[in-house]
Amino acid sequence: MNKLALEGIKVLDFGWALVGSLTTKQLADHGAQVIRIESMSRVCLTRTNRMISKSRADNPDDKPWFLHLNTSKLSMFLNLKCKSSWKVLERLIKWADVINSNFVPGTLEKMGMGYDEVRKIKPDIIMVAGSGYGQTGPLAREWAVDGTGGALSGYLDLTGWPDRGPVGPNVPYGDVILPYFIASAIVAALDYRRRTGKGQFIDASMVEVCVHQIIPALLDWQARRHLQKRSGNRIPNASPHGVFPCRGDDRWCAIAAFTDEEWTALCETMGMPHLANDPRFATLSLRKENEDELEAIISQWTMQHSAEETMHLLQASGVPAGVVQTMEDIMKDPQLKAREFLINLKHPVIGECGHPTPPYKLVKTKAQIRTSPCMGEHTEFVCSQLLGISDEEFLELWQKGVFQ
Amino acid sequence: MKDYILSGLRALDLTDEKGFACGKIMASLGIETIKIEKPGGDKSRKTSPTLTTNNGEEISLNWLAFNTDKLGITLDIDSPQGKEIFKRLVQKSDFVIESFMPGYLDRIGLGYEVLSEINPGIIMTSITPFGQKGPYANFKGSELIVSAMSGVMDSNGDPDRPPVREGPDSITFHSCAAAVLGSLIAYHYKVKTGEGQQVDVSMQEVAVTRTSSNLIVWEFDKKLIKRNSTIRTVGARSTRWIWECKDGYVFWAYMGGPGGAPANRAIAQWISEEGLDNPFKEITDWDEFDMASIPKEELDIQQEAISRLFNLHTKKELAQESLKRGLRISVIQNPADILEDIQLESRDYWSYLEHPELGLKLRYPKYFFLSNLTENFIRKRAPYPGEDNEYVYCNILGLTKSELEILRREKII
Repeated sequence: MNKLALEGIKVLDFGWALVGSLTTKQLADHGAQVIRIESMSRVCLTRTNRMISKSRADNPDDKPWFLHLNTSKLSMFLNLKCKSSWKVLERLIKWADVINSNFVPGTLEKMGMGYDEVRKIKPDIIMVAGSGYGQTGPLAREWAVDGTGGALSGYLDLTGWPDRGPVGPNVPYGDVILPYFIASAIVAALDYRRRTGKGQFIDASMVEVCVHQIIPALLDWQARRHLQKRSGNRIPNASPHGVFPCRGDDRWCAIAAFTDEEWTALCETMGMPHLANDPRFATLSLRKENEDELEAIISQWTMQHSAEETMHLLQASGVPAGVVQTMEDIMKDPQLKAREFLINLKHPVIGECGHPTPPYKLVKTKAQIRTSPCMGEHTEFVCSQLLGISDEEFLELWQKGVFQ
Repeated sequence: MKDYILSGLRALDLTDEKGFACGKIMASLGIETIKIEKPGGDKSRKTSPTLTTNNGEEISLNWLAFNTDKLGITLDIDSPQGKEIFKRLVQKSDFVIESFMPGYLDRIGLGYEVLSEINPGIIMTSITPFGQKGPYANFKGSELIVSAMSGVMDSNGDPDRPPVREGPDSITFHSCAAAVLGSLIAYHYKVKTGEGQQVDVSMQEVAVTRTSSNLIVWEFDKKLIKRNSTIRTVGARSTRWIWECKDGYVFWAYMGGPGGAPANRAIAQWISEEGLDNPFKEITDWDEFDMASIPKEELDIQQEAISRLFNLHTKKELAQESLKRGLRISVIQNPADILEDIQLESRDYWSYLEHPELGLKLRYPKYFFLSNLTENFIRKRAPYPGEDNEYVYCNILGLTKSELEILRREKII
């Protein structure tokens, strides 16, 4: 096994749900030791959401969603509502390089764990807080979920068909993007600490990260009062650019031609080379003008083929094309398979379960992914091996309800 | 001015649209990021939609958006002399980021093997649609194609129409964030060991990580979660969350149980204050309000009542009432709304950047995150072609001005 890039980094993790969990997963999969703090008084929603028929309401350890999000971490019970937990918490803070959290802003402070308090215990601590809107401002403490970020950042407004209202996918958006920024901030802050000896507090907001994606539309509005709108699958710089019906039930293939070469190759592959110079379609601007007609002609051709055939025929001629894959297709995708992107891990409660691996591969220090912990699985290990708490003291704390 | 979180590092940015944001993020963290273009300027400068400069040239909005804070140089890395100059830059850099088709840099003699001999610490990060290896590695891709191939697109759109892409290039942006993270983790390792490495980002894989909950439902229960307009399905739970209002749309998650109780109670209260038909007036215990057990007809009546309320009010009114009443409504903001957003304004979120070529000062988001100690701010517009040639070639590489002039004449730069 290769070395891991973040070996030796210690993370105390109060994160939960998607943002908090995914942030530290990136670090743990690359070798950081991450202790996820859990308590029966505040069970992570990914341990309670019963997505599949096999999951039970009363078992926090049988949810594959938690498994996907918390690989390679340790889990420790610690009930912060119990006063005596502070004896352990202080030692955890001293142990840690980094503290991760994504509480509603203000919560850490209420718990007595604000940055100013924590740095009295550990002066060079790196603390990060993810949230919907950021730690300050009139909306800071408002309720936020993934869709909130999509709404406020302009993403939802621009997604869908021009003649209809906005739509959103059945997959998260800001909730999965923000963690990469927070994890990057952590690794950068570790380097800052190495150079200067100083820790810092990072405040990262989902809405603020997501707004960056629509800067072109913000500039368009400012510079010439042009308001970008929903445009279905069409974009200004390619035509055709859409998904086309294929043989079978609800089967589609995405096709895009950014250049005249790609357009010509598409026409040849469809067996209609004359179309390339057709006065309706000869240039990008003509194709944009006559896009309805263009899409109808292409659909006539794609309907005679399976989505896979369509993709392979077009890719072989240098035309960007891809099957609109379902989860069933993803599980069989030869590219993902060849890259060992989905791996099976054995979990003591759930058994074999497929997991996505980090989509950024460090070639020399490949991520090593261990199955996610059962709730509180490592409480004793952390106390005795990492914090040096004696068996006697552990029992005493246990009786006081610290580890619940 | 406070420090940036990273300093003393340098990145060479060879990317096209797929990777612009990677260098942009790096630059915002304090890494000196040098965007390398072909002499005469990158062709993606012309990608539509464009603005027209004072000189009558077209400049791409996408280019402007995702190349802020970079230095700009021109260099023909396909010419023998250009390659040598590039190698000298690699000696003085920490990162190379690129988004060519896999194998292209190897073919022109600038692959990782060659560059790591010149600088063993170099980190080479590649952003491609399907990754560096595998049967589809040489497939052509784009935001649309990887969205299709990842399963994201299959879950988006109206059931009676084809699947639809996401408005912004979300997967591209997400992949760039993944590339930054991978690069920084690799850098952490390099500091410890002196060893650089390759970081291989697959846009398809980045997008597949988003489908986690749908993958699980397929793996264990063999059910497919398909596109369903305004309803978000996570596992076994579906929530309507997009609603029309008087002048646009709002986000409001209609959920039962204790999670939805505070907002449901506040909505019901407002409906009755407005004197509208209130199907909720019988409900006393909102914690027990269980969406799954409500008959469809009743749910429709409830949703109609909520729709009527929203349709009476503008986005602005709904946002204000939401704050006052705890309704948990978020406006589905359009680009113009975002520029007026009070939360962003209160956090000093905007940088005002000068664009002499357009005769404009334009607002850009200022940062990706805030820190008490460091200022990771976006401070400069995207570079003009070759804007920083003199600084990079003379100050960093130590060429003389006359050597620079020769390179210019030979169209190397």
